[in-house]
Amino acid sequence: MNTPKRAQRLSRRQFLATSGGLLGTALSLPSLAAVAGGAASRSGQIVAAVSERALTLDPADHYSISTTSMLRHVFDPLIDVTNDSRFVPALAESWEAQNDTTWRFTLRKGVTFHDGSPFNADSVVYTLRRVRDDSRLIKSFVYQDLDAIEPDGEHAVTVTSKRPFGSLPSHLTMLGILPAGAAGKEESFFQKPIGTGPFRLTEWTRGEKAELSANPDYWKPGVPKAEKVIFRFVPEVSTRAAGLRAGEFQVIDRVPPDMVQTLRASPGVRVMSGLGLEVQQWLFQLAKDPDKDLRLRQAISLGIDRDAIIKDLLLGFARPAVCPIPPGLVGHTDLGVKPHDPDRARALLKEAGYRGEPLDFVLMKDLYPKQLEVTQAVQAMLGEIGVVINIKNMEIATAREMRSAGRYDMFYSGWAHLPHDPDWYFGQWFTKSGAARLNRYNNPTVEQLIQEARVPDPKVRQRKYEDLQRILWNAEEPTIWPYYTVAIYGVRSNIRNYQARSDYYVLLSDVSTG
Amino acid sequence: MSQYVARRLWHAALTLVGVSILVFVVLRVMPGDPAKMLLPEGAPQSAVEELDRQLGLHRPLAAQYLIFLHSVFRGDFGQSFQYRAPAARVVLDRVSATIDLTIAAMLLIIGVGVPIGLMAAVRHRTPYDYAGMVVAVLGQSLPNFWLGIMLILLFGVTMRWLPTSGFEGWRYLVLPSLTLAAYPTAFIARLTRSGMLEVLDQDFIRTARSKGLPGTTTVLRHALKNAIIPVLTVIGLQIGTLLSGAVITESVFAWPGIGKLIVDAIFSRDFPVVQTVLILSAATFVLVNLLADLLYTLVDPRIRYG
Repeated sequence: MNTPKRAQRLSRRQFLATSGGLLGTALSLPSLAAVAGGAASRSGQIVAAVSERALTLDPADHYSISTTSMLRHVFDPLIDVTNDSRFVPALAESWEAQNDTTWRFTLRKGVTFHDGSPFNADSVVYTLRRVRDDSRLIKSFVYQDLDAIEPDGEHAVTVTSKRPFGSLPSHLTMLGILPAGAAGKEESFFQKPIGTGPFRLTEWTRGEKAELSANPDYWKPGVPKAEKVIFRFVPEVSTRAAGLRAGEFQVIDRVPPDMVQTLRASPGVRVMSGLGLEVQQWLFQLAKDPDKDLRLRQAISLGIDRDAIIKDLLLGFARPAVCPIPPGLVGHTDLGVKPHDPDRARALLKEAGYRGEPLDFVLMKDLYPKQLEVTQAVQAMLGEIGVVINIKNMEIATAREMRSAGRYDMFYSGWAHLPHDPDWYFGQWFTKSGAARLNRYNNPTVEQLIQEARVPDPKVRQRKYEDLQRILWNAEEPTIWPYYTVAIYGVRSNIRNYQARSDYYVLLSDVSTG
Repeated sequence: MSQYVARRLWHAALTLVGVSILVFVVLRVMPGDPAKMLLPEGAPQSAVEELDRQLGLHRPLAAQYLIFLHSVFRGDFGQSFQYRAPAARVVLDRVSATIDLTIAAMLLIIGVGVPIGLMAAVRHRTPYDYAGMVVAVLGQSLPNFWLGIMLILLFGVTMRWLPTSGFEGWRYLVLPSLTLAAYPTAFIARLTRSGMLEVLDQDFIRTARSKGLPGTTTVLRHALKNAIIPVLTVIGLQIGTLLSGAVITESVFAWPGIGKLIVDAIFSRDFPVVQTVLILSAATFVLVNLLADLLYTLVDPRIRYG
């Protein structure tokens, strides 16, 4: 069930991008592109029902995965990311780090926005300066490190940063490029926004539905495949599933493991899955007794049977973690699955002098599928070794407030490594300032490694992340990372070329309906 | 009469100010920070503080309320935190779907509930009565959520007669209004039945019958007119409830109404949207109740105000 991502079939788009890809030679393969082309074959309509409500049309003003999915069809980013986390050209033909704090992007020529205006360096400069300078925008804080953003001729942009910003290309995969003409009249622009993307936005009901129709002038030959794409925002999973089974939806996301059997048994429905970019994390409050005692944390880790949870509760739709960073991302390495050893756990508890003080395990209500059942299983397993767990299933905002205030012993959470880079995660959870309101982690050595891992060179980054994860995984166990989650989708069987994305995106530009 | 109406309207205004203060204060003393809910989990504290400032949440509570009140009188309910658009527009965009659903459900409640109750009372202790009451008990005891999903599976997935979710035409109204109306219809049926049974037992009905009035006239003109008053009150209250949104029905059918909107807004601490919906629905409630009270005077000549 845990389909290794590498084994998934490459799509035509990925194949093209890979062969052309980073070398910027896509244009030198005209014959292949022509074969992939054939705009005449474009037809049909695809309705996707996704789990979050898209509330805004501004690519810089949200961090919602469903909104990212929908807006990716209207706006192109500079860089795309494949399902195995490789960065490939979109509006940037190529990019390079000129030094640790300077990135240079060479832009694609001959691309136009939906209104016919040309895409060029001005568009990129405007988009980047806007997200850096307008602090009302939700994504603004990520771009505060950017310094100078300057055009370099009509089709190149140079960006310098105040400190090394190796994760910039990955962040740019989530930032749709706006036309420079939107400057100063953003409010009216976002009433009817245009991008350079494969689809134009034709209708939009806030939080309910977005209708997109094919952009016949799209710069990538043969894309999109469908004439029309509709995104419906349906948070209730049984409603998404019913619509899929009734044939009203062609694609749904976020299928919980216990619904897979029903969908598989439905005629005309396929289930597709792949290992997600998400790692579950159960935090310890590291400034609090008894959680600050390493032996107690080790004992709790040893008391948890991860395989049983995965097999019995998640029906196999998860994979035991071997390090905090999920497979596919820079820094992933195999540090070994954590063992289940109740005897050793009991011995450690005795050593730590733990005498049955109840530990509060705080959950954010209904956020992760099966989280309550999983926590109850953990409670029972830990009961076996003598640890008393007190489950507190709190409404999300309240739970987060408790975490800020440090009123918890363990906290159930997860982390989807968007945008395909671990820097954000470590920078927030394992630096003194970031962790002060989260898990209270503080280790200058690790913080130093996180800083050093910010350089653009992927080899350096890999080494630094391996070093720091070894400290976390083997020496400190500040958090339990039990497993990586599997992303599950339901798809009608007449849908061709759909990819079960690890980042939970629903991308339909290369998808056709037959 | 007009004095009475004026007094009631004055009370209504006071109620609304009270509601607005209550909503305003409760939202802000509730644990949970809107900026944190808007930003992704790992956003730095500086970003949270900056966003708090942008949203005006750094000001003292009283100042925030006065600013709010001042703009409400200009018809501005503030900018929704999560929709990044005027809260009034976000809410009004969804009001029409809620009104359509309310009307459809009311038609079912009145058109089905009252006749079932009448029939059960007139044919007391006959199979008609028992059948009517079995339907009523079912309607009252099936959970909304389950009923909605069963209707979807039966008529949407298996038979494919009706769409499973969304709102793009009258066919989309059928299943949600059935789900929504099930409980109140049953309630109204039972209320009508018991009211009618009480009235049918009384002397003036016996008089009407003995002076030879036809059965339908006795039942409809004499008995129902007396039994309908509590039913009207309940229907008035139901309209208020329905207009403030039906959370469960809306989420099961992905209905673009205001019930789900407000729950989502509460969870994400979108204060302006919560305030707008609550103040609007309080206003609706107050008005509908006032109208129901005035309707009594039309139905029952003994009731006079002022």
